[in-house]
Amino acid sequence: MFKADMADANIFIGSLIFVEELAQKVKAVVEVEKDRLDAILVFPSMPEVMRLNKLGTFDMSQLGQSKKSSIFKVLKKNGKGPNFEENMLKIVRTLPKLLKLLPLDRAQDARRYVMSLQFWLGGSSSNLENFLKMIAGAYVPALQKTNIPFDDPVNFLDVGIWHPMAPRMFDDVGEYLNWYGTRKDVNEKLKSPDSPTIGLICQRSHIVTGDDGHYVAVVMEMEARGARVVPIFSGGLDYSSPVQRFFCDPGTKKPLVQSVVSLTGFALVGGPASQDHPRAVSALRSLGVPYLVALPLVFQSTEDWLESTLGLHPVQVALQVALPELDGGLEPIIFSGRDSRTGKSHALHKRVEQLCTRAIRWAELKRKTKAEKKLAITVFSFPPDKGNVGTAAYLDVFASIFSVLRELKNDGYNVDGLPDTAEGLIEDVIHDKEAKFNSPDLNIAYRMPVREYEMLTPYAKALEENWGKAPGSLNSDGQNLLIYGKQYGNVFIGVQPTFGYEGDPMRLLFAKSASPHHGFAAYYTFLEKIFGADALLHFGTHGSLEFMPGKQVGMSDVCYPDSLIGNIPNVYYYAANNPSEATIAKRRSYANTISYLTPPAENAGLYKGLKQLSELISSYQSLKDTGRGEQIVSSIISTAKQCNLDKDVDLPEEGVELTNEERDNIVGKVYGKIMEIESRLLPCGLHVIGEPPTAMEAVATLVNIAALDRPDDGIYSLPTILAESIGRNMEEIYRNSNNGVLEDVELSREITDVCRAAITAFVEETTNSKGQVVNVFDSLGALFAIPKKAPWVAVVQKTQFASASRDKMRTLFEFLGECLKQVVANNEVGSLMDALEGKYVEPGPGGDPIRNPKVLPTGKNIHALDPQSIPTVAAMQCAKTVVDRLLERQKAENGGAYPETIALVLWGTDNIKTYGESLAQVLWLLGVEPRPDALGRVNKVEPVPLEELGRPRVDVVVNCSGVFRDLFINQMNLLDRAVKMVAELNEPADMNFVRKHALEQAEKLGVTVRDAATRIFSNASGSYSANISLAVENSSWESEQQLQEMYLKRKSFAFDSDTPGTGMKEKREVFEMALATADATFQNLDSSEISLTDVSHYFDSDPTKLVQSLRTDKKQVSSYIADTTTANAQVRTLSETVRLDARTKMLNPKWYEGMLRSGYEGVREIEKRLTNTMGWSATSGQVDNWVYEEANSTFIADEAMQKRLLETNPNSFRKLVQTFLEANGRGYWETSEENLEKLRQLYAEVEDKIEGIDRT
Amino acid sequence: MAALRSCALKSLEGLHQVNGRLDSSRKSIAFLPNNIRLCCSLPEAARVWNLHGKQRIHVSAASATSPSQVVLESDLGISYDKLQSLLANGEWELADEETRRLIIVLAGENAVKRKYVFFSEVQFMPIADLQTIDRLWRTHSNGKFGYSVQRKIMKRVDGDCTAFFKKVGWMKPLESDDMQYTYRSFPTEFMWELAPSTPEGHLPLTNALRGTQLLKNLLDHPAFVFADEDLRVPSVSSTPDSLNGVGSRTQQQQEPKKPLSINYSF
Repeated sequence: MFKADMADANIFIGSLIFVEELAQKVKAVVEVEKDRLDAILVFPSMPEVMRLNKLGTFDMSQLGQSKKSSIFKVLKKNGKGPNFEENMLKIVRTLPKLLKLLPLDRAQDARRYVMSLQFWLGGSSSNLENFLKMIAGAYVPALQKTNIPFDDPVNFLDVGIWHPMAPRMFDDVGEYLNWYGTRKDVNEKLKSPDSPTIGLICQRSHIVTGDDGHYVAVVMEMEARGARVVPIFSGGLDYSSPVQRFFCDPGTKKPLVQSVVSLTGFALVGGPASQDHPRAVSALRSLGVPYLVALPLVFQSTEDWLESTLGLHPVQVALQVALPELDGGLEPIIFSGRDSRTGKSHALHKRVEQLCTRAIRWAELKRKTKAEKKLAITVFSFPPDKGNVGTAAYLDVFASIFSVLRELKNDGYNVDGLPDTAEGLIEDVIHDKEAKFNSPDLNIAYRMPVREYEMLTPYAKALEENWGKAPGSLNSDGQNLLIYGKQYGNVFIGVQPTFGYEGDPMRLLFAKSASPHHGFAAYYTFLEKIFGADALLHFGTHGSLEFMPGKQVGMSDVCYPDSLIGNIPNVYYYAANNPSEATIAKRRSYANTISYLTPPAENAGLYKGLKQLSELISSYQSLKDTGRGEQIVSSIISTAKQCNLDKDVDLPEEGVELTNEERDNIVGKVYGKIMEIESRLLPCGLHVIGEPPTAMEAVATLVNIAALDRPDDGIYSLPTILAESIGRNMEEIYRNSNNGVLEDVELSREITDVCRAAITAFVEETTNSKGQVVNVFDSLGALFAIPKKAPWVAVVQKTQFASASRDKMRTLFEFLGECLKQVVANNEVGSLMDALEGKYVEPGPGGDPIRNPKVLPTGKNIHALDPQSIPTVAAMQCAKTVVDRLLERQKAENGGAYPETIALVLWGTDNIKTYGESLAQVLWLLGVEPRPDALGRVNKVEPVPLEELGRPRVDVVVNCSGVFRDLFINQMNLLDRAVKMVAELNEPADMNFVRKHALEQAEKLGVTVRDAATRIFSNASGSYSANISLAVENSSWESEQQLQEMYLKRKSFAFDSDTPGTGMKEKREVFEMALATADATFQNLDSSEISLTDVSHYFDSDPTKLVQSLRTDKKQVSSYIADTTTANAQVRTLSETVRLDARTKMLNPKWYEGMLRSGYEGVREIEKRLTNTMGWSATSGQVDNWVYEEANSTFIADEAMQKRLLETNPNSFRKLVQTFLEANGRGYWETSEENLEKLRQLYAEVEDKIEGIDRT
Repeated sequence: MAALRSCALKSLEGLHQVNGRLDSSRKSIAFLPNNIRLCCSLPEAARVWNLHGKQRIHVSAASATSPSQVVLESDLGISYDKLQSLLANGEWELADEETRRLIIVLAGENAVKRKYVFFSEVQFMPIADLQTIDRLWRTHSNGKFGYSVQRKIMKRVDGDCTAFFKKVGWMKPLESDDMQYTYRSFPTEFMWELAPSTPEGHLPLTNALRGTQLLKNLLDHPAFVFADEDLRVPSVSSTPDSLNGVGSRTQQQQEPKKPLSINYSF
């Protein structure tokens, strides 16, 4: 249609074309007509479109070609100088005057271009009319003879304050408020400075063109709700100065507003073009109020959006949701649509109400006193069991709540009746954790009669479809809905109800998720309407509110997360290492996420047999030449066998003669394994909010930070520096060490030891006698100023690495000093208080503090990253290494043949932390490379020629997690385009497995090759996970086949790049066909603190057994896990990884003792590991019998341990016992009848104890 | 407070109806037991009466009036002849457009310049003129259209605009998903006829392009308070006394049915 329109057009005008895909299309169409067209005018857009400009002799075809060139360069690095926007406007204003003086034709054309820009930015209908008159008169041949008179551009204020009722625009906030005070149409209360005042940020173009209906709606809604407004606008893309100028009192510099709502949808600085987040953050920080960024629909009609399960169009999500988040923007609420008839913006009335009430509620937090403020703390219970109340990743929840409440109390909040200890708190909420009394229920805080519930919950009717009439059976006593929790003064601690269908195998099978149940809705109704919370604090990672059905992003009136959260400001303590799910909480439940630290990591260390092995190895090294070598090696072999290392290392039979070399090799390999276990990082114990780690606890983390090269920052890793000092290359040492070369295993160990010692010495120097960091700056300053021996130099000098580069070490330790300060910073409670007082919470990236120390200090509003920036070049580089290792390994185990298909999983967090490594892995398997556009955004891929690739293109089946789908829909688009492109390449089938399979599938299904090349799958929109995790956690499954059916039903929704706006479509047939071709399954571990059995989502997404059952030959397929969390990246088999994980965590005294220090929560953590281990048995069958056997010896056979677990958390202990019995019953664990008898007996005992039956 | 207000309003209109004169009802306010609170909660009404405080004669119930008898009263000297003739000729679409024009004129010069009404201007609109417009619509539609008709519907849905829009047909279910509603496209999808299928209150349209505050304030205008009288009938229809206006009112005062959730912050 555009083409047809262009064919007979005289003039083309374009503006703000910043989306690459669109730019390409526009360029293609307009370019053809360029010579024929009388004039082409393109205002700020992508350079390729800008180059189309043609106005007589004036053109821009050279734009951006030479490196010196102008606008584009400015766009790319704005913000470096003073305000780039203002400068540009200044030029626009003065240039015509200058150019007027030049009589040349060329200058006339240039002048007309600049005047056009003025007309365009002036925007009003009279300006546009005059603009067209000028251009037509000057350039359309038919009109050139007739002299068309036109007026000069009328300039409106570029920046100022606007109000629909005001007679003019203001460029001074004092004048504006004076006028406001004289308004006769509103009452005194609204005009008084005591009423809540909301700053609104508008786009100037909407105001001058009169397309301001949606803005007017917001102004009216705010004022009708009793809030004063200060609506500001700017014609430029940089709002950082206007925000400071108009939202603060010019005299006192104090903010005049209590919250700010941007109605533009754009990042504060840079709009769609090029953002400057630090500049935005600094402006918002100095303003210091909550900052909401609402959205107008841009690429969709209102109906498109309503009908889309996706919600907001992916392109807009990338531009107007992800980017404002980097500024610390909250609450992406869509408030306006576009009338398809007039093209004008119109309010979405209910959304406007939601936005305005929420903005006012945030503002109220700034106005209310602490003593009167009501806070509702919500804890979670996953899976639903009393032993699980207060679940959150890495967090000792009740101790944290206790610590937070104590601080709040000191700060003036009313927390009357708070018990003296955290245990007392647990007792109050869950009534009786030791179950000495008969108390199957939690403490009931409120009974809500059904009538009240229905009256206060407008959407209650809609829940009946899934759950029948209220009250139903969940959180209900048959007449009332029950709210569990406990109130202290103005603080309520409540337990979030669970999904409610965990135990229902039929519901778990549904392709889409069920709505919340009545009890769930009643809980949030209670908080908002009965308790009257001023703010809600969700405590820890994570609950289920934000995972309720609805659109992915851009909630509508009928999306459950939006309805449930109602109008309460939502603050959410979230683990810093989980930016992806934090982002879901931000977007779907409007949370201000405040990051908390994962517990300080320690090295796993060695214990029991593993420790003996390590001792034997060191005696082998000192005694191997004395003739005792043979004897020691034989002990090593037998001990290794006892430790079940025979699966990891090829151990010879006893009595086999070995050469010296073979002995060294065996010892080297065992040593390598031992070292791998020993140096694994594990988070010890659970974090307590408000209790940062001590400096010494931070050592292991620092050692790992120091182990990574950071070439971009000019920082070398300590191992690299040390290896260099003896003329070795660290990469090579790692490689040899992996292969069991004894000397290099030993060298690697020495390097590790020196690193630890040097960093320990450094940390000691900066801490006081209590082990706390006193003043890193002072001590560091002293350290760096005085040329005497720095502590790390002192350590290094005593070793073979004495000549290590002093300069490089100094740079590194300066960096480490900065990191140390951030690790031990204590901002988590402070940031919460800021949020509760209606202040701005500074944003910060989420991720792995080791890879990206910018994650620290915690206590920041977590954001993800610009989704279009990934994969980065560095990520692509790492991905190639991992893919090559993966293919190598699979070839080695598969008779030298390349795998035809690999089924893999993409996680949101993983891709954020690694800047898209696993995304890049998929691309590299396919043999394609990303091509970033001129602004550095990745929207295009190109195939690498086969001769260059040197191997076949490997087919993929990509299972995107629901979170990945929500965050990276553009990347799913990119991947799908890559797959389709590769399938359509004219290449031989044996060198292009994608094409090979797609051709077969196309024939079988009777579709085109392009349609058959469907490989990018996920859940239905608004649904998350395969639900296998829920089934396993709740033991609510019969057979493995049932789990596999869940996977197929819930994960078979494909993304189609040919219809990107429509969302996910079910394509189960091709999903099954594609999976059936897989030779291997593959996943990535994203950081050291989350491993396979720490969380349930890894096994939830594992299709290993499923692939086997789908394959025609029923062959067992290989399964791999990549681990790029350490400098020495690894691709291990799944079973190796499960063993490593069991050894470092569940079976490691250091780990479980650390957990048990947290008491109640600790028992649950142990039980969770066992349950997740069984999950792996169920989905992959890759768990060895000895893992269960050892776990049983550790936790059950050990009488003292068993008693301790039972006493501390009987509910979790019951689940532990039950899981052991279940593992046996399902055939995953074979053990003695004696063991089983003991378990059965324990089960009966604990059951009685919990039910309160005393048999004695 | 809201409940109190609704009762107070009802007593007020009762008096209004009985006496047929506004000045009487104004006098009566002073005798209401809760007069102080009432004044606080009705700032717009009080102001309007002060502004347009001259005496007027009101035509009583619309049903009893034949179209030709409608008195085209205006405090601002505005002519309603055009609206009347459009309505009389069944030119619903044009009448709707004329009504929107008139409402802007009623809101004053600034609104005319602006081309739309800001919600806070509604309070200054004269009762007489609004009632004239309403009366014209009701009379020509057999009581199906008009602001007072819409007011009743809005009260029945407790001020929930989405529910109101569904009832009067300004929103329609999505074709693909009948749980969700979208705005009916103007003017093509509106029902420009007085057919049995046209929902009650469908016209005149106060669009939601700029949100719902204008509509809410318009329907809350004292000009249409009289419409609340009819609201009570269905709620007490089970009682034999219900025909007795005084009796039913007493009952209403004793047990207000439901608190109204309309936002009265102005």
